[in-house]
Amino acid sequence: MKLKEYIAYRLMLSILVIFGVVTIVFFISRVIPSDPAALWVGAHPTVEAIEKAREELHLNEPLIKQYYYYLVGLLHGDLGISIRTHNPVAQDLKSAFSATFELILFAEFIAILIGIPLGVYSAVKKDSWLDNLSRVLAISGVSLPTFWFGIVLQLIFFKYLHLLPLAGRVDTITMLEHPLKVITGFYLFDSLVTGNFVVFVDVLKHMILPAITLAMYPIGLITRQVRSMMIEVLQENYIRTAWAYGLPKKRIYFKYALKNAIAPALITIGLSFAYTLIGAFLVELIFNWPGLGRYAAYSILSMDYPAVLGVTIVAATAYVFINLIVDLIQVCLDPRIQL
Amino acid sequence: MKKILVGLALSLIIVLGIVASGCISGEKTSTPSSETTEQKKTTNVVIYGYGSEMITLDPSTEFSNSIVTLANVYECLVKYTPQGLKPWLATSWESNEDGTEWTFHLRKGVKFHSGNEMTAADVKWSIERTIRMGQGPAFIWDPIEKIEILDDYTIKFKLKYPANLPLIASSAYGAYIMDSKELSKIGDDNAIADYLNQGHDAGTGPYMIEKYDPKTEVVLKKFDEYWGGWKEDQFDVAIIKIVPDSSLREQMVVSGEIHITRDLPLDDLPKLQKDPNVIVKQTPSYQELYGMLNTKKPPLDNKLVRQALSYAVPYDQIVEYVLHGYGSIAKGPIPKGMLGYFEDMKTYEHNIDKAKELLAEAGYPNGGFKLVLTYTQGDQAEKKVAELLKAEWSKLGIELEIRPMNWEQQWALAKSDPQKAQDILIFYWWPTYPTPYDFLFNMFHCEETINFNLCYYCNPEFDKLIDEAVTFEGTDVEKAKELYKKAEEILVEDAAAIFFYNPDDVYVIHKSIVGFESNPGYPQVVFFYDLHKRS
Repeated sequence: MKLKEYIAYRLMLSILVIFGVVTIVFFISRVIPSDPAALWVGAHPTVEAIEKAREELHLNEPLIKQYYYYLVGLLHGDLGISIRTHNPVAQDLKSAFSATFELILFAEFIAILIGIPLGVYSAVKKDSWLDNLSRVLAISGVSLPTFWFGIVLQLIFFKYLHLLPLAGRVDTITMLEHPLKVITGFYLFDSLVTGNFVVFVDVLKHMILPAITLAMYPIGLITRQVRSMMIEVLQENYIRTAWAYGLPKKRIYFKYALKNAIAPALITIGLSFAYTLIGAFLVELIFNWPGLGRYAAYSILSMDYPAVLGVTIVAATAYVFINLIVDLIQVCLDPRIQL
Repeated sequence: MKKILVGLALSLIIVLGIVASGCISGEKTSTPSSETTEQKKTTNVVIYGYGSEMITLDPSTEFSNSIVTLANVYECLVKYTPQGLKPWLATSWESNEDGTEWTFHLRKGVKFHSGNEMTAADVKWSIERTIRMGQGPAFIWDPIEKIEILDDYTIKFKLKYPANLPLIASSAYGAYIMDSKELSKIGDDNAIADYLNQGHDAGTGPYMIEKYDPKTEVVLKKFDEYWGGWKEDQFDVAIIKIVPDSSLREQMVVSGEIHITRDLPLDDLPKLQKDPNVIVKQTPSYQELYGMLNTKKPPLDNKLVRQALSYAVPYDQIVEYVLHGYGSIAKGPIPKGMLGYFEDMKTYEHNIDKAKELLAEAGYPNGGFKLVLTYTQGDQAEKKVAELLKAEWSKLGIELEIRPMNWEQQWALAKSDPQKAQDILIFYWWPTYPTPYDFLFNMFHCEETINFNLCYYCNPEFDKLIDEAVTFEGTDVEKAKELYKKAEEILVEDAAAIFFYNPDDVYVIHKSIVGFESNPGYPQVVFFYDLHKRS
């Protein structure tokens, strides 16, 4: 199979997966007893107002017909109107998505930057005290609950050291005094491109704590993966040969060994990317980050089914595409893998 | 090996560098940040940390949280205060003898944010649009038959039946006056709604919407030509910052990141009261917690059983343990401070012996029955009330099953067949505008299709009294009070519901702000115009 065909095939499969997810979530979210019409109209509605809303939202029609309406809308890029916020879901998701994606990217960046060197070093210095320490770190990263870790960071860096802001994405007053021209919705990027350094520093400061909290899990995962693969690879014959040739250490470790050890780690990184999306649900609540996670949490709590569906579609799409990209990168890195 | 070590050390340094850059830049910006504090002083910002997202910005249809924004951007004809109605966009008003015709005299020289002058045409247009759209709070204008413009500053309302129109015109929902000239240009009613929901405004209020992001913040900027004028220590910019997590809001107000907030965990308030950085302000709210009793299903269809249950409520303990003292025991169905609240109302007091006697009289000497109670999942106060009831009623031999449910679910259950519905439903009520009729009609008036009469109570004598009382509210308050009192006495005697408590509105305010007064007629609203910097 050629690369193009393979991609087309995978994309087709992805659409099927997303369609399946939409169907399941649609019916589950509608089977739960609740009354979206009552939620739509506000606190103390009259009977007439609820009936009117029920009609407007097509809620008095058979479920299968509502499903049909939803799919037709979806094909036109219309994700419906949020029952809770009365905004088009697509519009809500758009702003939330860039906030979350920026945070996740930053968190993964930290995770890779720490995880890979730590894994390599651990393997090279197997059973040294530093290796033990890194293993403790890795296990803690995977097993410590993010909400606990996030709150501890807030306590240390905000309450006691007064170094970093408590929560939010950017300081309101800073934004007012130095308005940011939003281009991509990624504040770090936008502020850098437009040369708005005051906002850049402010956004960076706001991002550090949530990003580190979010990065803890992938750091643990990557470190462990890289360490175990490196240990295995370092015992291979070709590495011994390389030693015998007297090649420099750096070249052996990073050029010969890491290259072969990194492929499985890449899969881990890809999957942890998807996982951080889930982790963001909690982290965004703790740090009041106006992203997908916070949006999803409040939508679920109020049984706002169009919003829940919207978030599900975005999350499912992200999962599917990250998997696809990881697979493709693997092909590029390791020509032995056949499509 | 050493090189690897160096490489690792370098990458660690880079990572630490990133972390530190935040910290260092924190220090570095400490000079600019002192500048920003300087700027803060010059730009004068006040920030209200609010727990819920904004919903819509159309004054005709908005029936939820966004009044927190609207009440600062728009104004009504009349302003409600606990001390009585005050002029707002209208300076005075009068009615004919039976309260079926009302004439309002408008304030002259009031400008909309567009620069247009506010006239009677705007008032007529705004109210007619709300009625025409028929959504959310539009029902408040039900009495209106016709609106006549007498001149630019005088407007007359002809009603279908007597009503207290000035009170209706002070409503926090659906009574804001909009700029008809500006909005008519936009298009039809729905086009206007879309335009407004994008963050535009067309009001006369002291603030204009500068930036609107319903999920994170609303930035309001002062309107220089506001008719009330401006003083130096008022705020140029007011921000409503959406912070759903209450413990986060608590930390933010203590550190001064936000200046005013509410709905903090009640358990933390005593601690905050000792904090020198903040002031805890508690005022009565027009809210009440009810236990709606299923009067259609045995054994609660028996009045004696309902009375027994009302006696077997540890009211003092509830206010102490649930509210930590931030509220008071309810005296009948109407919250303290409102018309229709009577300090001398004879209500139930905690008396377990009396409860036992009544149960015996009803034929349940040792209890021996089971009741199902539902409350809104996640509401800590309701949960605690339910637990206290369970413990107390077990003394009467009554087994209480507590079911936490999502509000829509529990409401749907209550609206289904009363024979299959819960025996007791716990919920709050607050008025659309502060009239006792809103409470008594919605919860206790006979209903053909059950909506909010969740005790299925139906007493024609009671209905007649309140239907008559409401017609006197605008013209003869004493008469209205007398009729309401009679009606409420019937209700208390029939024990259709348990009246638990009136929680206080508790705001936590940073010490740098003065002038805040909570107004229970406009729930959760902070009127930024009233706030000043502490000198």
